Amino acid sequence: MPDLDLLRGTLDLLILKTLSWGPMHGLAVLRWVEQVTGQRLQITEGALYPALHRMEQKGWLDAEWGYTDRNREAKFYRLTAAGRRQLAAELSKWSRYSEAVQLVITAEGAR
Amino acid sequence: MSLRDPGGPPKLFRLPTARHRLRGDIERELRFHLEGRIDELIMRGYTREQAEREVSERFGDLTTIRHELEEIDVMTHRTREFREWRAALAADLRYALRGLALRPGFTAVVVLTLALGIGATTAIYALLDAVVLRPLPYAAANRLVYINHPVPGVQVDQRWLMSQAGYFFFRKNSAALSDIAVYNRGEISLVTSDGAERARAGAVSDNFFDVVGGRVLLGRGFTAADTRPNAPPVAVLGYDFWRQRFDGDPKIVGQSINLGSTPTEIIGVAQRALHLPDYQVQLWVPLELDPDAPAVNSHYLDAVARLAPGVTVTAAQAEAARLTSRLPEVFPRAYSPSFMRDSRFSVLVTPLRDFVIGGMSRTLWILLGAVAVVLLIACANVANLFLVRAESRRREVAIRTALGADRTHLAGHYLAESILLSLIGGVLAVGLAYSAVRLLLGLNPSSVPRLAELSFGWRPLAAAFVISLGTGTLLGLLPLVRVAVGGADVAAVRDGGRGQTASRRTLGARSALVVAQMALAVVLLAAAGLMLRSFERLRSVHPGLDASGLLTFEVALPWSRYGSRGVRGPDGYLPVFRFHRELAERLGALPGVSSVAMTRALAIKDGDGCALVFLKDRSYARETAPCLGNVLAGPGYFATMGIPVRGRAPTWADMEEKNGAVVVSKAFADHMWPGEDAIGKQLRPNGVSDPWYHVVGVTGDVRTRGLDQPPTEIVYYPMVPMEGAPLWSPPTTMTVVVRTGAGDPMALAPAVRRVVAALDREVPIANAQTMETILARSTAKTTFAMLLLGVAGGMALVLSAVGIYGVISYTVNQRRAEIGVRMALGAQAAQVGRMVVVQSLRVAGVGIAIGIVGAIATTRVMRSLLFGVSPTDPVTLAAVAMVLVAIGAFASYAPARRATKVDPVEVLRRD
Repeated sequence: MPDLDLLRGTLDLLILKTLSWGPMHGLAVLRWVEQVTGQRLQITEGALYPALHRMEQKGWLDAEWGYTDRNREAKFYRLTAAGRRQLAAELSKWSRYSEAVQLVITAEGAR
Repeated sequence: MSLRDPGGPPKLFRLPTARHRLRGDIERELRFHLEGRIDELIMRGYTREQAEREVSERFGDLTTIRHELEEIDVMTHRTREFREWRAALAADLRYALRGLALRPGFTAVVVLTLALGIGATTAIYALLDAVVLRPLPYAAANRLVYINHPVPGVQVDQRWLMSQAGYFFFRKNSAALSDIAVYNRGEISLVTSDGAERARAGAVSDNFFDVVGGRVLLGRGFTAADTRPNAPPVAVLGYDFWRQRFDGDPKIVGQSINLGSTPTEIIGVAQRALHLPDYQVQLWVPLELDPDAPAVNSHYLDAVARLAPGVTVTAAQAEAARLTSRLPEVFPRAYSPSFMRDSRFSVLVTPLRDFVIGGMSRTLWILLGAVAVVLLIACANVANLFLVRAESRRREVAIRTALGADRTHLAGHYLAESILLSLIGGVLAVGLAYSAVRLLLGLNPSSVPRLAELSFGWRPLAAAFVISLGTGTLLGLLPLVRVAVGGADVAAVRDGGRGQTASRRTLGARSALVVAQMALAVVLLAAAGLMLRSFERLRSVHPGLDASGLLTFEVALPWSRYGSRGVRGPDGYLPVFRFHRELAERLGALPGVSSVAMTRALAIKDGDGCALVFLKDRSYARETAPCLGNVLAGPGYFATMGIPVRGRAPTWADMEEKNGAVVVSKAFADHMWPGEDAIGKQLRPNGVSDPWYHVVGVTGDVRTRGLDQPPTEIVYYPMVPMEGAPLWSPPTTMTVVVRTGAGDPMALAPAVRRVVAALDREVPIANAQTMETILARSTAKTTFAMLLLGVAGGMALVLSAVGIYGVISYTVNQRRAEIGVRMALGAQAAQVGRMVVVQSLRVAGVGIAIGIVGAIATTRVMRSLLFGVSPTDPVTLAAVAMVLVAIGAFASYAPARRATKVDPVEVLRRD
């Protein structure tokens, strides 16, 4: 069972990172995250699609209908140039954030 | 994984269809997800039912998500559409700009042609807007009405103003009017240390500012007490006058100025831009009104009223008519039943704006129609040029079509190009229109009301923009029609764009355009021609006097020193009489002056008024006495004005004796005593008992009311009335006429000013102008319409000449081969030339014929502008037709010459 809730705002980062490997449909994005994290990270499935569509609106993703290798019709998302720039920005933001959090939680308490 | 073109959305997809499609996509995407998940679980051993339940639980509320996705996608769709549209527009504009830059000649001709048409339309619109469309500069001006009295029994077109008694009666009894105010306008002498000057004054009742919704900026306005007889004199300064004449002195209220030799206290300053209707006021003074005075049938007050809330003009008119019909019962001495019956005295309530604008509204609408026709003709020329372009573009269009450009794309290209052209033309047009309006204002056409209010604001600019956009769109859609009709002919690509059928079709379209523009030009030229004929007729009317070499100016003597002894004491007229006799002598001594005289109503400028006349040898009741022209004329008036007199004209000696010698006009004599000699007859004005005036001479007829009016019946009374019959007060305001020798009479003005100032330094002279100016101004309405219609007609003529020339020379180029063959077969050059000219004349002829019919149908709207010529005047129409035939022949001359120079050998060899 997944034991970690997704932090607010990190869903975009996960999607962007996942799609950086190549065009994928929504379900594949989900499976990829589950697989990589060993099911430890739970994405609310219903929230995935609004996130994808909103990113499409912002021009970070392009969407196109295509066929899966099992020959089923699916909507594929692909990172645009703007999306790549966004990913880079989110990554650096995330690492600064996690470093800061790390510093706080590992600091020796003041007496 | 294979990506597939999903047959993406066509451009300009309408939203309902788009929403439907977006919904389907969302549904498909979600179903794919859910089914994928279910399959996973089934593979892990769930039953289908369990799997479905599990998946839907994990997914969340499907309906909400669906809805959310749809909202996002619709927004995305819109943004994308807009971006694509913008990109396409930018591309079209770039393409159009490049195309235009490559053809500077074409571009310049089109832009100039359009600028001319749009500019003319914008200029007239600016005029129409300022004069007609914009409300008067008063608060809720559409609720203001003007009230006067038609007296068809006295004279058909005459309107009497309101009487003092009528004003108080209306003010007290009207429920339809929330209030009514009266005013007079005129000039008043302001005496300062620099000398005396005339200022434009509005004399108003105490409630005038309230009725028109005006305020005072400083101090106070007038009260009822200020308007009572013998109230201490007060004045309110107009805003501009206060700023310019008194440097905007904030402490001006309470100071005293010398108005007409009377110390007058300034009690206030009016708000900015507050004026009488169509009269720029510098000074406001109270109008003397006496509510206790006995009612007199004397109508001298302009009346403006505000309609009560919810009351229409019609309702106010009905009420006013009811009130007017009660006048005989309320004021039996002033309004007898027989007076009401014979004069058919009635009342007319007119929206104030209609009263101010008068007939100018119609003139300006006609002019707008005329310039709109010029614009149409200009458009026809440009359309012709476009058709030629379209012809040379057929190859390009065909290639584009073959490459998959659809009609929307082509329309975009054409539209971008033509709108770009017309907008550039529009910018130029605004400049043209602005200069034209300035020029027009410089001409100062006094016949146009409200011009003082004209400013070239945003409304003419907006009009220019809208007209440009409309023109551009129209022209841009034109080739599209051709594409639709002609279809995309791939053949054009293959045969190198030399298909003959298409050119013939174009030729038909182009000829049709030329016919249309010829027809429109005929209508315009007919209108211009009719105005020209009216002008000619008007100028050839003999005014009855000799206007050349006459200088005129007004002299206003201060009432307090020259008039106030007036009617009461003996010799009340002596001060005025002495002043003018002295003035006449001194002016007469100036070099170059041959004679001098004065009058209270200058012919043509001032009209002649109306007073009752009683003849001794006829007896009629006061109520049926005719009301005819009366003019106070000083000695020498007729000689100076060049009006012939049979018998003799009164002299200074006659006036000194107060012997009652009068002269009457020929029209008067012929009407009153047909077949008898008027000299020796006796008459008197206004029915007072003795004494009688006696006629000593008969003058030639003078068109005192203007050249377009018949000569009037006038009695010329002396400046000084007979003893014991003070029928008029001392004439302190007189117009002086000076006959000069050679040269411009105006050159005498400074000397005249010095003479007057030397006589009395508090007496200003005003409105110095030549009689010829006055005469010209009396025909200003006709001149104005003639000038503008003439300009429009001239533009139409030039544009249609260019149009027909373009088509004929194009045809000659197209028919080179045929002409070559004809010449090879033995046709003479003259024959070929004639063929071309005949073709041109045929096109022109059809246009002219249609135009004549159009002119006959439309020129009747200008009947009221014409003088002495019928709207369907055959001479004018024939002349216009001949001019255009000449244009047709002239325009074909160069192409015809070119046709005769065609070398058959060269032409035949080329194919």
